[in-house]
Amino acid sequence: MKKHSKNVIFRILEIFIIAIWIFPLVWMVITSLKYENEVVTRVFTFLPQNPTLHNYQEAFGSTYILQWLINSLVISVVTMVFTFLLDAPIAYAFAKIRFPGRNILFWVVMAGMMVPFQVLIVPLYLQFTSYGIINTLLSAILPRLALPIGIFILRQFYEGIPTALEEAAFIDGAGRLRTFVKIILPLGKAAATTVIILAFINAWNDFLWPLIAISDSVNYTITVGIANFQGTHGTEYAMIMAGAVIASLPELVFFLIFRRKIIDGIAMTGLKG
Amino acid sequence: MIPGNKDTRDGILFSLPFMIVFALFMIYPLVFGFYISFFQWNILGTPKFIALQNYLDLLKDERFWSSLWHTLQFVLMTTPVLLILGFIMALLVTGKSPLKGIMETCFFVPYIFSMTVVATLWAWIMQKDFGIINQILRILGKDGVSWLTSEKNAMWSISIATYWWTAGFNMVLFTAGIKQISKEIYESATVDGAGPLQQIFHITIPLLKPTTILCLILQVIASFNVFGQVYVMTGGGPAGSTRVLVQYIYETGFNYFRMGYSAAMSYVLFLIIMVISVVQYAILGRRND
Repeated sequence: MKKHSKNVIFRILEIFIIAIWIFPLVWMVITSLKYENEVVTRVFTFLPQNPTLHNYQEAFGSTYILQWLINSLVISVVTMVFTFLLDAPIAYAFAKIRFPGRNILFWVVMAGMMVPFQVLIVPLYLQFTSYGIINTLLSAILPRLALPIGIFILRQFYEGIPTALEEAAFIDGAGRLRTFVKIILPLGKAAATTVIILAFINAWNDFLWPLIAISDSVNYTITVGIANFQGTHGTEYAMIMAGAVIASLPELVFFLIFRRKIIDGIAMTGLKG
Repeated sequence: MIPGNKDTRDGILFSLPFMIVFALFMIYPLVFGFYISFFQWNILGTPKFIALQNYLDLLKDERFWSSLWHTLQFVLMTTPVLLILGFIMALLVTGKSPLKGIMETCFFVPYIFSMTVVATLWAWIMQKDFGIINQILRILGKDGVSWLTSEKNAMWSISIATYWWTAGFNMVLFTAGIKQISKEIYESATVDGAGPLQQIFHITIPLLKPTTILCLILQVIASFNVFGQVYVMTGGGPAGSTRVLVQYIYETGFNYFRMGYSAAMSYVLFLIIMVISVVQYAILGRRND
């Protein structure tokens, strides 16, 4: 009996903690459904008195938010695909092919993980200006393609694939490329999913670099667009929150689909954004 | 075993695509940036070689030191709290509660939102006149707090938003660590009559040391690189009291176009992060063996 009531107290406490933690998100949605004059007043109301989607219309109508979403989506998908196309072959080489300089090369690549991005912003900016691609989506994509952490994950996985499987393929006359495509890639699907999910999230949440690389507001990513909302829309808090909701929806959907994969991927690598 | 051993050729061919991109957008800018840091390099006009002048100027630049100090403040304000929060969350989601699945999702979900959304949301929650925290304080008969507009509070407010945003990340790492501790240790402790708290302090915390070190090092690096929260929530204000180093690097390079100076500063930050990581690893890692 005593144990039972103790459990009840614990559950109530836990529900309370969950409610507090999730509240900011709830408040974001509630604010976005209010009229501006209900938000900017000292007469506090919790729930919207006249719920409205006006702010969403306003956000879509008077800003480039839809374009920003598309830009972010394009950048993230392209980054995701190319990251994998670049990472997988070299990870395979590191795991299974004995070639001179392999270990040195591996450590050079891993050292790349240590470099904080802000060291690269000035040189990259000058580099891309001279190529004439600054202020394009391409400039936001290129520096994010080489993802050393992806190599690390894939290599670890490929190392666990028995060499006997490869050898059987070689005996059947398959070359390296065929073996890689037909045997290694299908077997490494789990690790591949982790890598492309991490690449997608990284690209989607990127802020400092697109802020610098892209100056035309049509070309903004969603993160940069939202950051500049406050500057351009000052005190229209309801509208700003509607923008924040719109900006988070794709990520939320992505999270709900890949929840387990994302959490496990982070647990595996300790990747910090 | 392999017909006409082509390992060397294959190794190079498979590495090449990545290495080209890596060389172009990582190694080259890394070297180029270091080169730039020895020049007076404005976006227009000819770069002028000034040797170590940028680095010497840094030493006398009050803004550099204050930005470094603010960054350090942020590191100290966030790191311990984020580690403890992450650990407590991990205890909650690895316990016996039927709500643990829901808790894990709830604690983690803020991390999935982009930092600019999180910062915008918290700037609204902490808004001085109409933000919900101050509205509630006023209903309770208290005065509203200048969360983001007073020098005393601003960095703490940014830290609070950061706690909410990334504590779930540390939770995931701690959870993974806790799950690796064998159940038998706890079982035999229970048999010996150790209560839950004793088990946490005498089993969980000591055995989690490697995870804690990993979390600590990652957290310090992440906090040193803080930028977006500050940029969105205070813009470095009030009166420059929350300007952090990455922001100063950004402003120097892209508002004042002093590229050489900005590059020099970024290398100093790089060096600081490297030294701190190595020191942490050396001290904590060694004692761990």
